[in-house]
Parts: sequence; structure tokens; C-alpha cells
Amino acid sequence: MANILVCDDDREIVDAIEIYLLQEGYQVFKAYDGEQAIKVLKENTIHLLIIDVMMPKLDGIHATLKIREYSSIPIIILSAKSEDSDKILGLNIGADDYVTKPFNPLELVARVKSNLRRYTMLGNLNVENNALFQVGGLCINDDTKEVTVDGEQVKLTPIEYNILLLLVKNCGRVFSIDQIYESIWNEEAIGADNTVAVHIRHIREKIEINPKEPRYLKVVWGVGYKIEKQ
Amino acid sequence: MGNKKKPKNGRRLRGFLHVLQHIMLVIVVVTVLIVTTGSTVVIDGLSGSSRYSLYASDQEKTYEESELFNTIYGRSVADIIRFGVVRSQLETDGKFDGKKIIDVTAYNYRDLGLPEQYVTARYYLEDLLKWAKYGREYSEMYMTAAQAEEFLSDKTMVTIVDPNSKYYNTSDANYLKSDIGSYTFVNDVSSNMLYEEDNGDNIEETTETVCQQILINRYKTVDGKNIEEYTADWANYDALCYNVSTAMDSLSYNYDEYQNYNEYYAAENSNIRYYIEKTVGEHTEYFTNIEDFDVDDISEYMDGNCKYLYYSPAEMVYESNSAIAEGTVRDIVQEYDYAYPEDIKIWIAVDTDYPVYDAFAEGARGFQNYLPYFWQWIVLAVTAGVLYLVIIVYLTMKTGRDTDEEGNEIIRLTKFDRIPTEIAALLGIMTTFVLAFAAEFVISNCNEFWSYGDIYSIGFKVAVGIITFFIDIIVFFFFYSLVRRIKAKVLWKNSYLKRLIHKISLLIWEVYDNGNIVIRTWVPYIIFLLFNLLMVITGIGIVVAVIVDAFVGILLYHDVKERQNIVKGIEKITEGSFAYQIDEYNLHGDNLVLAKSVNSIGNSIKDAVEVSMKDERMKADLITNVSHDIKTPLTSIINYVDLIKREEVDNERVRNYIKVLDEKSQRLKQLTDDLVEASKISSGNINLHFEKINLTELMNQTIGEFSEKFEQKNLTTVMNINASNVIIEADSRRIWRVMENLFNNIYKYALEGTRVYVAIGHREQQEEAGKERVEISIKNISAMELNCNPQELTERFIRGDESRTTEGSGLGLSIAKNLTEAQNGTFEIQLDGDLFKVIMTFPILQMK
Repeated sequence: MANILVCDDDREIVDAIEIYLLQEGYQVFKAYDGEQAIKVLKENTIHLLIIDVMMPKLDGIHATLKIREYSSIPIIILSAKSEDSDKILGLNIGADDYVTKPFNPLELVARVKSNLRRYTMLGNLNVENNALFQVGGLCINDDTKEVTVDGEQVKLTPIEYNILLLLVKNCGRVFSIDQIYESIWNEEAIGADNTVAVHIRHIREKIEINPKEPRYLKVVWGVGYKIEKQ
Repeated sequence: MGNKKKPKNGRRLRGFLHVLQHIMLVIVVVTVLIVTTGSTVVIDGLSGSSRYSLYASDQEKTYEESELFNTIYGRSVADIIRFGVVRSQLETDGKFDGKKIIDVTAYNYRDLGLPEQYVTARYYLEDLLKWAKYGREYSEMYMTAAQAEEFLSDKTMVTIVDPNSKYYNTSDANYLKSDIGSYTFVNDVSSNMLYEEDNGDNIEETTETVCQQILINRYKTVDGKNIEEYTADWANYDALCYNVSTAMDSLSYNYDEYQNYNEYYAAENSNIRYYIEKTVGEHTEYFTNIEDFDVDDISEYMDGNCKYLYYSPAEMVYESNSAIAEGTVRDIVQEYDYAYPEDIKIWIAVDTDYPVYDAFAEGARGFQNYLPYFWQWIVLAVTAGVLYLVIIVYLTMKTGRDTDEEGNEIIRLTKFDRIPTEIAALLGIMTTFVLAFAAEFVISNCNEFWSYGDIYSIGFKVAVGIITFFIDIIVFFFFYSLVRRIKAKVLWKNSYLKRLIHKISLLIWEVYDNGNIVIRTWVPYIIFLLFNLLMVITGIGIVVAVIVDAFVGILLYHDVKERQNIVKGIEKITEGSFAYQIDEYNLHGDNLVLAKSVNSIGNSIKDAVEVSMKDERMKADLITNVSHDIKTPLTSIINYVDLIKREEVDNERVRNYIKVLDEKSQRLKQLTDDLVEASKISSGNINLHFEKINLTELMNQTIGEFSEKFEQKNLTTVMNINASNVIIEADSRRIWRVMENLFNNIYKYALEGTRVYVAIGHREQQEEAGKERVEISIKNISAMELNCNPQELTERFIRGDESRTTEGSGLGLSIAKNLTEAQNGTFEIQLDGDLFKVIMTFPILQMK
């Protein structure tokens, strides 16, 4: 199984994370500051790194920057800093994911899995297929009507599938509720209706790790919905 | 280095232009002087120097065709013809002849024609000339008739002109050379009219003396006689004396002229060559300044470089290659018709090689020096003039401009520019006067300064040039100083007058500011009234009174205007612009006190607001930092509680404990997040990204998101959209946060199984024209009794239930309200029994 390095100056947090990861069958390496993390990374084969930002000696941001000079392993930043600007900074310097403290342990594990799958699947993707649509880890095969997220199959209702396909096909474009309604039901949308919104919520719950902070199906409040380009 | 060099170069260029400017003016002045003085040529003629004008129209012509040449030539022709006359009077066969015999009466009558008989005396020419030089002497004699008889001759010698003589009665008669066939007869004295006319009465009176003027005979006549010896009576004596003296004067004058002409038109002194031949009867006489001239060779002379004219009235010939017309020559000759018979030949030529430096050569020099360059001079003058003006304009623009070390544009003043304006002006005026006097003195006394004397000399032009140069330097020294003063705005600021007025106004304001209310109101008012009264009484003072009243009016106007400014300032501060400051400059008296107080109040408020803002921000920062510190241990708590949950715990109580721990740790997480957000919003520490928001879409999305939660509590949403597709401007994530908080609130506190009403519509009352607002109202029935004030609900940490037993941080409504207001919306909560109503309004951006 994969080797995961967990780095945080709070030992209890590292231990807790270790427990969850061990339960999932991962091998866990531990470090308590940035320098240690880099050292462990050099000495062992590590497949994924979970790293805190505020740490003594070398903080998570600088450690990530250094690691990115030679390694492309998935890095998940784990931080108490929950500002948008913090998240943007972390993702911009090369982190693959950003989880704020306090976190739901199950969400963290799900993100670890997702990132690992994506990392290991990189390169073995199918050759171009007209019926194959892909956005990041989200993949739709229109021939088989199959939807996978990071390789895991997701079960969607036909309406949910059609909505998702519409959005994925027009990746990046924002659709209003009326537009979605008209193209899926082929009827004119009359007045207010929250059916589409409910369906979207269901899709989010199925394909997203944390539906409140969606990675793929984003809500543009007051405008509509879109699949974010990855 | 580069920076330092740049202004230096600019200054060097300007210095060069200054010098160039003065030089240009000098060129203009000197050129104008050259053109004006050059257009006249001064030529030394027989009768002194005379001035001839040159005409620009002659520029295309050669000198020999010019008016100047022809004028000189014409004068020479007149001179020569006159010279011929004089020569014929004084010469015999081309040589001066002192022994020539002059018949004085005939000479005097030379141009009138002789009477048939006349009394005359004949003298040698040289005697008459000498006599005239020496001067005549008269003596007054008192004579009785007897003495007179003794004095005068017994007989009067009368000359009778032979009427058959061909000269008789012709004006052409040449008496000087005449061979008049005259004869003399002697008249008896007894027929003396004196005696004949004396009747008996007069005989007795003969003893009386008669006063008679006698001309003393300096020279005797050719016959060796005195004047009185030719006449027997006083009348004839006086006539003869008159003729003698007139002839003598005339000849003497002509002799002087003769000498001048002789020299002036001598072949070695003149380029004029002349030949005059006249024939009277058998006798042919000629005058010329050419040696060995043969009349047949005239054509030879004509071929050379010369201008000539040939006039022969007898042959009816007039030939000339000059501009002199025949009529001109004829008129001149006719003036001397007594001296020129019809049979004359006049040939006058000018050698245009000018071997001799005479009037013609002088004229040629003047012509050559000036006319060919006429337009060049004009162009030079105009060019220099234009350049002069251009330089002045450029320097006027540039003078004083400079850059300081930082490269900013500044006006650099010289030491002179800093001298007070009045002193500089006085210096300028004095210098101008001194210069004017000096220039006037130099020019009017130029004769004494330069040997050549007049304004035609080069020396004069040089002097004028130098004077101009210095005058220009001095005048523009003052001019550019004035320009710099105006540019630097120190013309008025740096004057004594300004200082004086400033001092006086300060004094007046000091008295005014320090006086009490009586001094400040009644005293000026009474002075004003008295002044007006006094002025009106004196009559003329009305004008002064009107001016002063107008001034007072302006003062009052300013006072009111100042107060208005203060009022405006107070209004601004009231409206919330605490940083507004009233301009205290130029305020006096109560207005100043008022303005200062208002400013100080404004400052205090501003400071207070700033301090409170700063505190709020510090608080937000503190909360953020604390929440970070809380989150780390909270993470461990949540994680380990979760781990315990996964352990198989048999004890029911322990499981309950764990459930409480789980719930409370989750609430703690929620609280810290909300706390950070609430503090940030209230301290204004958030960045909003405004975009177009469709309210209907937002509402549908929100309801969609909450559909399952509401189903759990059996809540039904009723949408009532009166204004569909209203677009407002808001931050999409923030407005979602507002809705999320509101719907969460409903989810938490609404009575199960009730309906939730959501309405979107136009705001009924429009607060401001053109600014329509949309109203969103959300109504639900509270599950618990709402025993609090609606305003308090939006305060932080206030919830409907005081016990705070239910979930929630108590910050939801506060955050919703603050976020709404940050997005230009209004947020209001209304309570009506158990009806909980939230009303929000937003400005409408557009309607679809």
C-alpha cells in the first residue's frame, strides 16, 4: 500500500490521523516540523504528504515549495487558517488540496484516497474517446453511462446523470436553473422551481467529498451552476 | 552627472540667445540707418555739398541710367552753358584777357537791348575787377550850381547806335566783342537841362549848395578820363555811375565764378568734356576743356564709354545717349540768349570710365555701395527684426525656468529679482531717462565726436550700433526681471505697497479682533455714518463716500460668505465627513473663533471614530488569532471523540457522554468560525466581489439546498415572486451566507409542520427617485415564544431563547444583517406574536 507522511507539530493530531490512515491500510510516516518532513521524504518512498502550515523551523508553505522543486507527490495542506487567501496561497504554491482544521477525519481520509488515486492513475487514461468526458478526477463515459470519481464508480439517477453530463460537456460555463430545466426536461421553465437545485444537491452529495465545499460541481449563488475547469 | 549638466546647457543656450538678441537689434538699427542714409548721396558740387536721393526703382538700372547720374549730368550741362557765358565775357580767344575793353552801359543792357543813344564809359576789364575787389568809395560834395558846372564836363558824350547795324535792337548782340559802329557826338552843356528847367525863381537859388554823391575814380577809362568828364548834367552822371558800379559788381561775381568753373571743369578735375562753338557773323569762337579738339572728331568721342549730348539749333540737331531732353538744353541756352547766337554748337560729354574722382565718380560710388544691395539690406533688417522678436518671445517664455536637484520645474530668481518691486521700477525708470538723455546728447553732438561729422559717416553708424547694444541690454535686463517676477508671482508679493497694505490690515484686524462687542459693532457703524454724513456735506466727497460704501458692502459680503462656509463645514461634519476642515485662513473676529471651534469638534469626532475603528480592527485580529489557537486543540478533541465513538462502548451512559462531547465540540467549531466572520464583518475587514445576482435564481438555489432539512421538520416553502428575475449587485458567496444563515435559523427555530413564506417584490415606497429597491421578505412561525426586542436579535450572541440550550452560535442574524448592509442592502426583523419576519431590500441593478 501507499506510504503517507503526516507532518504536524501537534503530536496528538498526527497520532489521530495515523490511526485513521492505518485503518485504511496505509503505511504512515510521521514528522513534527518541515525539516523533518523533507528528511523523511528523502530517505523513504512517500506517496502522499499531509502537512500543517504553522510549524517550527520550517513552515508548511516553505516546505511545500522545497519539495515541489524535485517531487510531484500529492500534498494536502492541513491548517487552522481558514481564510480564502490562505487557501489560494496554499494551492498556488503547489499543494493539491487544502483541508482546514478542525476537520472531519473521514473527509480527510476520503481526500487522501482521492488524491492517491488520481496520482497513480495519471498517465493510464484511455485514449481519446468521443463518448468520454473528463474533468479532473471526474470521468463520464456516455457509452456505458458510467460516472467515476477518482476511479470510484458513482451511481446517479438518469436526471442527475443528464444534468451532470450537460455541465461537464460545457465545462466552465454557468447554467441557470431555467436553462438546465429547459435542456433536461425539454419544457419551458415556468416561474420559480427548485427541482433542479435539489437534484444538483444530490449530485454534489454523490460526487463531492465535502458537498459544502465542492470541487467539481460549483454553485454560483444567484447565477447558476457550473463544473469547474481543473 | 547627466542631471546636473542639463540645466547648465539650458542656461548656456539662454545666455547665448541673450547676446544674440542684442546683436539682432543692433543689426536692425544699423541696417535701417544704412538704408535711410544710403538712399541719399552727398556730392561736393560747385556751390558746396548737395544731397541727392537714390530711388529703389533705379536698382535695375545702371548708374549711367539712374536719376542720380542724370541729375548730376543735368547740373553739369547747366553749369557748362553758364560757364560759356562767363568765359565769353572774360576771355578773348579762349584766354583770360585783362585788357579787354568793357563798355559799362552796353554791358548792363546786355539782355534788355540798348536804347538808341546812351551815355557810357569804357574801362579795361582788369581795372573793373580790381576796383570791385578794392571797393568803391564815394564822397558827398556840396556844390553850388557854379561849382557843379565846374565839376562836370561842358558836354555830354552820347553814343548812338547805328540802326543799320545788325546788332541794333537784337537781343543777341555781343557787345563785349562788338564792332558796333557807334560814334560819339558832343552835346553842348548850355543845353544842360538843369539850367534850362531853372526859371527865374531858381536863378537866385543857384547860389544855394546841392548835395551830390560823387564816385571817386579809382581807375580811369580806356581814354584816360574820369566819369564826370563824360557828362554835363547830374542825371547822366548818376546813370553812368550806376552803370559803372553794376558792371563792376557783376563782372567781379562772374570772375569768381569763372575761376571756380575753370578749376572744377578743368580736364584734370572733371570727367566732363565740353565743346561750345558759336559764330557771330564772320567770327567763330569756341570754348572747350579738351586740348587740340577738332570739331570733326566729335564722333570719336561719342564712340568711347561716354554719355554725351550734342545741340546745334542752327542745324536743328540734337543728339544724346543720355536722359537729358532737348527741351531742357534749349531752356538753359535761352536763359542766356544775349550771349548765345543762333549759330552755336554745344557738345557736352561724360567719360563714364571716370578717370577723375569728381561728382560723377562720387555718385557712382554711392550708387554702387548702396543700390545693388538695397534688397539685401531690407531682407537683412527684416530677418534680424523677426529673429529679434522670436528670441524675445522665447526668452520671455523661458526666462527664470529651471529645474532643481529633484528635477522639478521651478522659477529661479536672480538677486536683482528679489529687490522690492518699487525700487526695481524706480531704477528702471531712472536708467531709461539717463539712457534717453545720453543717446540724445550723443546723437545731437555727433559733429563734435566724429571728424566726418554727419550721420552719413561710418563712425556714426558704429556709435549708434554700440549705443543700441547697451540700451537693449539694459532695457531687457529690466524687462526679463519683470517677466520673472510675474512668473514667480512675486511682483505684488515683493512690493512695499503690499507690505504696507498688509501691515495696515493686520493692525485694523488686531484692533477689531481684540475689541468687545461695542467696539466691533457700534463704533464701525457710527464711524461709517459720520463718514458718509461728512462726505455728503462737503459735496465732492460723495464720490469718495460711494467708493467707501461699496468697499464696506464688499466687506460685509465677505463676512457673510465666511459664515456660510462655516455653516457648510458644520453640515459636512454632521453628515459624517469628520475629516472636513474649514479654511481658517483670512477669517477674523467671531468667524475665526467659530471656525476654530467647529474644526476642533470635527477633529475630536474624527479622532474618536478612528480610535474606535482601530479598536474594532484590533479586536477582529485578536479574535482571528485566538480562534486559530482554539482550532488546533479542537481538532484533537473532535478527532479523538470520533475515535472513541468508533470503539464499541457497552456502557449506555458513556455513549451519552460521548454524544454530548461530540455535539458540543461541533458547536465549538461552528462558534469559532462564526466569531471570526462576525468580527471581520463588523470591523469592515472583508473584501467584497460584486457581481450580478438573479434573486429568483438565488432563492430557488437556497430552497433547493435546504429542501431536505425542511422536509425533516415538515416545513413547506411558499414562494411568492412578484418581481421575477430582478438583478441586484452583490457578492455571490456573501449573499449565499446571508440566505444560509436565515434558512438555518428557520430550520432551527420554526415550528414543525408550518409554512415558510418567501416573497420578492418591489419596495412600495421609493425613497429616492431613480433608485428602485427590491424587497425580500421571509416569514415563519417561531416554535418558541419570542420574548425579546427585534433589534436585539441582530445584536451579537442574542438568540430567541435566553437559555441558549439549542444549537447555534447566536451570531447568525448578526452576520446576516452586517453582510446585507455591507452589500448596500437593508435588514429588518419584525416580530408579530409568533410570526418572525425578515425584510431585506437591495437596490435594483436591472430587471430582466
